[in-house]
Amino acid sequence: MNLSRIQNILLAVALLCLAGCTEPPIPPEVKQAEEQDIALWRSEAPVYLPEEYGQYKKALIKAKADFIRERSRLILFRNYTHVQSEFRHLLQTGNSIIGQLEGKKREFSRNIEEKLSFLGNQIETLKGLSKTMNEGRLARRDLMQAEVILVEAKKRFEKGDFIGADDKTPSLAEHLNAAEKTLYPIVTRYSDKKQIGQWQQWFDDTIAESRTRNSPVIIINKSERTLTLYKRGNAVKSYKIGLGRNGSKDKIHAGDYATPEGRYRIIKKLPQSGYHKALLINYPNEDDRRQFEFAKKKGLIPRTVSIGGLIEIHGGGKDSMTYGCIGMDNQNIDELYGLTSVGTPVTIIGAVDSMNRFSSTVQGK
Amino acid sequence: MKRITIAFLICSVLAVLLVAGCAKQPTEDIKAAQASVDAVVTEGAQKYAPEDAKMITEAMNAAMEEIKVQDGKTMKDYGKAKQMLAKVKTDAEALKSNLPMKKEQAKNTALAAQETAKAAVQEAKTLLSKAPKGKGSKADIEALKADVKGLEDSLAEVQTAMDAEDYGAAMEKAGSIKEKAGEVSAQVTQAMEKVGAKVK
Repeated sequence: MNLSRIQNILLAVALLCLAGCTEPPIPPEVKQAEEQDIALWRSEAPVYLPEEYGQYKKALIKAKADFIRERSRLILFRNYTHVQSEFRHLLQTGNSIIGQLEGKKREFSRNIEEKLSFLGNQIETLKGLSKTMNEGRLARRDLMQAEVILVEAKKRFEKGDFIGADDKTPSLAEHLNAAEKTLYPIVTRYSDKKQIGQWQQWFDDTIAESRTRNSPVIIINKSERTLTLYKRGNAVKSYKIGLGRNGSKDKIHAGDYATPEGRYRIIKKLPQSGYHKALLINYPNEDDRRQFEFAKKKGLIPRTVSIGGLIEIHGGGKDSMTYGCIGMDNQNIDELYGLTSVGTPVTIIGAVDSMNRFSSTVQGK
Repeated sequence: MKRITIAFLICSVLAVLLVAGCAKQPTEDIKAAQASVDAVVTEGAQKYAPEDAKMITEAMNAAMEEIKVQDGKTMKDYGKAKQMLAKVKTDAEALKSNLPMKKEQAKNTALAAQETAKAAVQEAKTLLSKAPKGKGSKADIEALKADVKGLEDSLAEVQTAMDAEDYGAAMEKAGSIKEKAGEVSAQVTQAMEKVGAKVK
């Protein structure tokens, strides 16, 4: 074989190679997958479908690695068939995630909507309870903070930021818990069977006394905020009243703004009072003194406080902003003043049955 | 003579292959581009310009993929990768230089919202201080005062968010406070009307 023949063969091979060496086109699916990944990111797939998106991302990385490997080959040996089918499969997976995303978002938004509505209702319930109990200080402060957060969460929800709305709920719940911690220790007494049993006993004994002695008696019901006058065991008059600022609690010592609970009597009638007219009762009685000593011994109250006194049924309004007295509208105290006398029994109870205004809130919890 | 020519040609091809095959990764360009991307992320690009930040990260990934392609080739050519890296660097630097402005804008908007919220709370407070604690309004006013305390506590949270440069959160909270403060003011006015006081 002479040199020129070899040369011709080499030239022919080179020409053949060159003719067959045009780069195969990059599959359009590669670019489409890149765009799809961005679209999935924008649709928050990593947040709503983290597992599915994670698998998708893994497959994308593998497909890209295969694509890179294929591109690294000599043009002569480059073949994108396998890569193309890999990317096609990936696109199908991506489309399926997009399909699932809509449903997932709908489901999530429904859950958040329900959660926000539940929390909103809880705020309203606690606000109502706070108002009923006249605990308008600590609980209201927390409830207002909860309301501010609820507004933020609702705004995020309206913008379609469901995850962001959900992020707000733990701090909202924290404030609700704080409000509950303030309110429930007071309220739970009103659903305590033993406590209610005692109140019922006082009620029954007082009514019995009214029957036996044929004399008027007064029953003050804290949960109902009523003062009822009984004659011969029958209710003859009922008035709306107010209590102390912490009136739902039982009075233990001076300055606690609580209204005492127990069986008392009118010990003095005051026709001229700073609060129109007043009926002074014999707080503290023996039970109150025992309770006070016990609390002091146990360190439940400051050592320096006294037991207090001068608890009256008086006029001036039923605002529930007294130091512990029972407040009434002036025209009502005028009437009651005429119907009672020194010695009239006055029994102050929290509630008369277990289904009262306060216990229903706790039972619903 | 012909033998010499062929030998020369083969040598030239081998030389070209050798030179091309020995092209090195543009490590300096990679480092520079990556540093720019890291810098812009540190500056808070994901918070203030998440879309731009994502695009830059994706472009960086694409450049690295191109480098991997060339790494696997016999005849390496990092020219395209270098161009891509240069663009990543330029874009990241451009975004970084824009970030202070975006941050400043967010800060100013949040500050304005904070001031508005403060004013709304102050208005509710002023109204409350004027409200007569008469018969029928004392308890309401007491409760509303507690509401204002709650709003003041929330205002403190706005400041915390501002200090943490979380202007979005600060703005959201300030907006909600303003709304609730408005409601409190309306309730104070109602309570005052209940007792027949003049609302100034």
